[in-house]
Amino acid sequence: MNKYSWYVIALLASPIISADQHQMDHSLHENHGHTGHSHQQAVDGAELDVNPEKFDRFVEDLTYAKVAVISVQGMVCDFCARGIDKTFKKDTSVLKVDVDLNKGKVLVAYKADQEIDFDDVKHKIQSNGQNATDIQLVSI
Amino acid sequence: MGIWHIIIIAVMCIASEVTDARKISYSGGGTLMVKSDSSAKSVYYHYSPSYKFSLGIEAQKDIFRETKGSYLRFNYLLNRKNTNTSQRNLYFLSGVSTDNPNDLFYGVEGDWETRELFSGFGYTKTEAAGRNISHSYVQIGIAPYVGDYGDLHTWLLLKSKKNSLTKEWQTYPMLKFFKGNVLVEIGYGNQGDWDLHGMYRF
Repeated sequence: MNKYSWYVIALLASPIISADQHQMDHSLHENHGHTGHSHQQAVDGAELDVNPEKFDRFVEDLTYAKVAVISVQGMVCDFCARGIDKTFKKDTSVLKVDVDLNKGKVLVAYKADQEIDFDDVKHKIQSNGQNATDIQLVSI
Repeated sequence: MGIWHIIIIAVMCIASEVTDARKISYSGGGTLMVKSDSSAKSVYYHYSPSYKFSLGIEAQKDIFRETKGSYLRFNYLLNRKNTNTSQRNLYFLSGVSTDNPNDLFYGVEGDWETRELFSGFGYTKTEAAGRNISHSYVQIGIAPYVGDYGDLHTWLLLKSKKNSLTKEWQTYPMLKFFKGNVLVEIGYGNQGDWDLHGMYRF
């Protein structure tokens, strides 16, 4: 193959990648603003699909906070998840971040009065090359 | 620098700006890599404006060609497939010598990874002064245990590589460790040569 053909392949692939990365699961939970639920339940009453011990450790030092449990596709290794961790920590409304690699979840604690925009969350996850497909919110 | 090289680099830069591009690393992240094996020793830093591509510079000592030099590097994520349990990637790699635009390399690398299994391949071709050298490799691996976030993670790998000069496949085991922002790969070939790779992600 001619050496310039590689450059052409790279350029032609751009729209393919964009289309692939924008394939999101549209069955999203959009729950906001309630309080008083147990730590193992989202605000809509659904059970959290996250390691209970990890979640309890994550919230034990939190008061008056909102925790987002984000489902992420493609987060298969610790090294891959580092960028997600760093990206969320740049957000001044974020109190702490943790990752449940086994369940493919990112835990993000926000200030309690912070409105959580799932599109912003998806953008942050995508800026690391992964896809956010779902979010569950828990008020602490 | 030839007119074709100027055009290609210009087109790549323009394309990078107009695509909603992301990269291997997270957007805005930098990575420092050191590598030493039987074909080359190098120090390489790249910055990822997005997760789809990176721009970098690599100082390299090419053992086959007995040359030292620096390359401007451009890597591009051609395709990525994320699922709940796996990630598959295909990358385009390239570099152009800072001293001689006719000294360049290009190729592809791909991988598929779950939390327990890894497979990857790569092919690069170096062109310089009418002397072309190609390098190929395939790699498979398993994780002996599945660690939690922040733990020390370990991979047992088997790598086979070949270059167009020796034309022989060389197969050897490798160990990969990573914890936090640090990754280290260590391999030892049957011809007594080490294959070392270190990485720090900023």
